[in-house]
Amino acid sequence: MIHESLAATHAVVTLDVPLPDIFWGWFVTMNMWAKSIGTGLIFMLFLLLRKNSSEMKGLRTLTLIVSFIFMNVFLLFTLADLHQPFRMWHIFFYPHWTSAITVGAWMATLFVAMEFIMIVVMIRKENCLLTKNPVGFFDKMLFWLTLLAIPVTLYTAGIMAEASARELWQMSTESVQMILAATLSGSAAIILLGGSKLSDETKQFFGAILGLSALLAFIIYMSEYIFGGMKSEEVTAILAHVKGNGEYSTMFWIGQWVAYILPMLLVALSRVSKSNSLLSLAAILAIVGLWVVKHVWLVIPQLLPMS
Amino acid sequence: MQLGFLVDLHLCMGCKGCEIACKVENEVPLSTWRLRVKYVDVGTFPETKRTFTPLRCNHCENAPCERICPVSALHYIENGIVNIDKERCIGCAGCVMACPYGAIYIDPETQTADKCTYCAHRIASSMMPACVVACPVEANIFGDLDDPASNISKYIQDHRDVRVRKPEKGTNPHHFYVGGGDVNLNPLASQRIEGFNLFDKITTLPLGGHHE
Repeated sequence: MIHESLAATHAVVTLDVPLPDIFWGWFVTMNMWAKSIGTGLIFMLFLLLRKNSSEMKGLRTLTLIVSFIFMNVFLLFTLADLHQPFRMWHIFFYPHWTSAITVGAWMATLFVAMEFIMIVVMIRKENCLLTKNPVGFFDKMLFWLTLLAIPVTLYTAGIMAEASARELWQMSTESVQMILAATLSGSAAIILLGGSKLSDETKQFFGAILGLSALLAFIIYMSEYIFGGMKSEEVTAILAHVKGNGEYSTMFWIGQWVAYILPMLLVALSRVSKSNSLLSLAAILAIVGLWVVKHVWLVIPQLLPMS
Repeated sequence: MQLGFLVDLHLCMGCKGCEIACKVENEVPLSTWRLRVKYVDVGTFPETKRTFTPLRCNHCENAPCERICPVSALHYIENGIVNIDKERCIGCAGCVMACPYGAIYIDPETQTADKCTYCAHRIASSMMPACVVACPVEANIFGDLDDPASNISKYIQDHRDVRVRKPEKGTNPHHFYVGGGDVNLNPLASQRIEGFNLFDKITTLPLGGHHE
């Protein structure tokens, strides 16, 4: 191992001018976080339709509007992070299809357009030119929207995988983490949105999704944390930033506790005590903690020297 | 034709002539570099030596920057050069994140990605890249990798210690080093100790987008 020879060679870089910044900072964290909530809510709405459509009343338009808002937050931060935001249209006129950024931008645009149409239909009700049965139209469209939500959720993992310099991000693990982030934040958001419109049984159902998503995501992070360094020396060097006295160690563990461990415990407690308050607290913590978890995982590979 | 670069590290003396020539030729703004020479000090006093490694874009055959660029601003040209169209670039920094060699930066004046192009504009006029011309010891060897009679091909044939940076990445760089070891070519093989850098206070120009 190269690392083992450091003491023997005593090699020290005395002149280098590597890239000065973390290029993908918290704007990109906001992008991933907001998209997780936006698509996650659609997954949960579709599950609710399949599980108990009678409880959809009052939630169709509300959930869709909240999802639409978060998807626009995602797009806004994506745009704001560009160094040339006014050239965003180049993605549509000069698309390069090997890039997950291009594919994602097209899919996300289509996704938001579909959401917009569904919101208009639901708001205009019978006055809508598209259909005389807005609820039926909505439920049919929801299936296609849910299907599209899968690649929209996953494409960011593709971007991370294509950022091949950042050894930590692998498509297989990141794609699972993206889906779990969506189910975690989506279930948390619908628990909070549902309020009295959802039965206790349905809330516990979404609570179970929240708890299981937290558990699986936590297992993956811990697997990377413990065993990731065995893959390559780059990953070892990256993970050093979240281990021991690493500069992101505290933030990493705050994220793990707030996003995963505490929500898991609270979901379990809420099931025992049949407490909706505990479930709501778990939901809030999961949404807040997810931001921290995503941010740490985004930043640490960028601390690796490339030259 | 597949153009490539080779640096004989036995010859390089770290004069930074190539770095300055590149800066002047390509009007590279302050605080950014298309080509830079890395110094690594090896050993403990009095048994010490300093190594010099010019670092530039590797013009990979399988370039991650070209793959991730959403608008084809980064593209191959027929002679194998990975070129950049700054008018098309949207500044997403995907290429910056994808390049395993840290060779791409955001130009603070144009707010677009930029990197070494092997002086594609000079090559189009049948001239050598500026860094090759400037090198006082001819450590930079440039030529057609497809032509077995070219200088670079002969150099590769004649030397056994020809290496590329990070071969495990599968990028197939068109940039080779002779006489390089891990200390030169592997960023993790040397320590970066605060206070040991010859220039600690490098002024950087503000960039658009968001950075930390």
